[in-house]
Amino acid sequence: MLLDPTFLAIQLLNGLQLASLLFLLSVGLSVVFGLMNFINLAHGTLYMLGAYIGLSLVRATDSFWLAFALAPLAVAAVGAVFHVVLLRRMQAASPMRQVLATFGLIFVGLDSVRYIWGDYSHALAAPELLAGSVQVLGQTYPTYRLFVIGLGIIVLLVLYFGLERTRLGAIVRAGVDDRETATAIGLNVERAFFLVFCFGCALAGLAGVVAGPVLSIFPGMDISILILALIVVVVGGPGSLKGAALGALLVGMVETFGQVIAPEYASVVLYALMALVLVLRPGGLIPVSKAHG
Amino acid sequence: MMSRETWRAGTAILLLVAALVSWVRADYFGHELLTQIAILAIFAMSLDLLAGFTGMISLGHAAFYGLGAYATAAFNLMLEWSPWAAMAGAVVVGAVAALIVGSFAVRLSGVFFIMVTLAVGEALHAYLFKSRAFGGDDGLSGIARPDTSSIGISFDDPAVFSLVCVGFACLIYALLELVVRSPFGRLLVAIHLNPSRVRALGCPVSRYKLAAFTLAGAIAALAGSLTAQHNAFISPELLTWTTSGEALIVVIVGGLGSLVGAAAGAGVMVLAMHHLSGVTDYWMFFMGLFFVGVVLFAGNGIYGVIDAVRRRLGGAAH
Repeated sequence: MLLDPTFLAIQLLNGLQLASLLFLLSVGLSVVFGLMNFINLAHGTLYMLGAYIGLSLVRATDSFWLAFALAPLAVAAVGAVFHVVLLRRMQAASPMRQVLATFGLIFVGLDSVRYIWGDYSHALAAPELLAGSVQVLGQTYPTYRLFVIGLGIIVLLVLYFGLERTRLGAIVRAGVDDRETATAIGLNVERAFFLVFCFGCALAGLAGVVAGPVLSIFPGMDISILILALIVVVVGGPGSLKGAALGALLVGMVETFGQVIAPEYASVVLYALMALVLVLRPGGLIPVSKAHG
Repeated sequence: MMSRETWRAGTAILLLVAALVSWVRADYFGHELLTQIAILAIFAMSLDLLAGFTGMISLGHAAFYGLGAYATAAFNLMLEWSPWAAMAGAVVVGAVAALIVGSFAVRLSGVFFIMVTLAVGEALHAYLFKSRAFGGDDGLSGIARPDTSSIGISFDDPAVFSLVCVGFACLIYALLELVVRSPFGRLLVAIHLNPSRVRALGCPVSRYKLAAFTLAGAIAALAGSLTAQHNAFISPELLTWTTSGEALIVVIVGGLGSLVGAAAGAGVMVLAMHHLSGVTDYWMFFMGLFFVGVVLFAGNGIYGVIDAVRRRLGGAAH
């Protein structure tokens, strides 16, 4: 089974598709972590929120593309409010307190979603344009999944050029490298952090809508993907765009092939991968060089 | 001014008296609640050793709790060990698992440690959820409590079993109190406050943290083992992130680094869950909000308030 090229190709595409979703989800986490040494454990909750808002928008307007465009904005707005109301207030406290507060929000988010949308599992239909399938080595493969892969690549390119070629990108890079010096020479790292945070939230929302037609939408979809995203951040190396991309690719592939070959042990293998990286390269595969430790 | 330790021990005795009074007055259901409180107190105190004293905030502590429950079930049902032997075996399994996980996890600091412990717990949960040998998501049932008919009492009586669990909670409190007062415990606090200085003094910081992590894992496994015997049933539910989260909430609401706070927090948590879940299906919403509030405003939780009284009294005496 393993050596069958069709099987391999299909699973490879599935792996890429999961990697693409994971990349959307973990890039915000990773860059914010690099900037502020803070990880938003409610990031998965924002992803779930994106999926549910997308679901409601599709039901209300009958247009997937409208949901595709608006849900990330709505999630970014939620993220912004959350940042202003809670995180900014806790800036003086240790990052640990911020992390714990976001952990409490997972509970709040889960029950809010249950309250608003119920306990049932929902599915989102793929847009008509992408509802068909294509032939891959004689096997049919849903077009929509190829779209997900393409979207991940596009976002990666946009972020890459955004970080390398724009002023905001330069501020973010400077902030990740050495926050104190960047602040001292007059860069507004706080504002850059806020924008990056909101953008990361929007990407999490985008991942949620996009995941709708592939994975089912249910309360609790947040935590399983959050764990994968955390592993991506740890494996790739926090703070680095390339790290998030490489980590997402690795985790996406290991998870996909693991689930097919040995479903019982898939999560154990993933965890072992993370442990291995932590032991051999504690800063992740693509560590960000920090000015001070 | 009374020393911090004496004040803490006094609070512990008050808690024990409260537990005993409620034991005397409780009906069948009250004994069940008391059992739950005692078990959660053991679990939360083990987490307090990590989070409160050593500064290692774990979001995957339920892994060892669940492992203890699963080991008890496996030893008791599959290998047909006696309940006492299964319990002892479970503690050993918890210690060994914590030793393995800790051997690399303790090297990580702060946020990294949180992420990795969360991931470990979820990985183990995912494994047990799918494992056919351990009953998958249905779990296993029929775990026996110790047979003490030879001395004329039955552990199957909720009144007896709740008293046994309270007894275990007292033992664990005493053990942990000895640990945190020992030079070893002082060193853990020092590591929490300033790891680089402790390292500079020539102490192997990682090894001390690993020892604390292993001890906490073993105690969590004991709590898991008691839960398995209490419910006569185990499921992967025991290892979910919500279980770890609830324990952390108990510790933070009770007051980090106070041991008795964790025990008091366990009481508040079980009673609040019991009453809230009767009123609303969405009690996790309120629990989460409460948690955020405690993290945000009341730094030291319930025990922080109790300790403030001690300082006030001390201030008046001078």
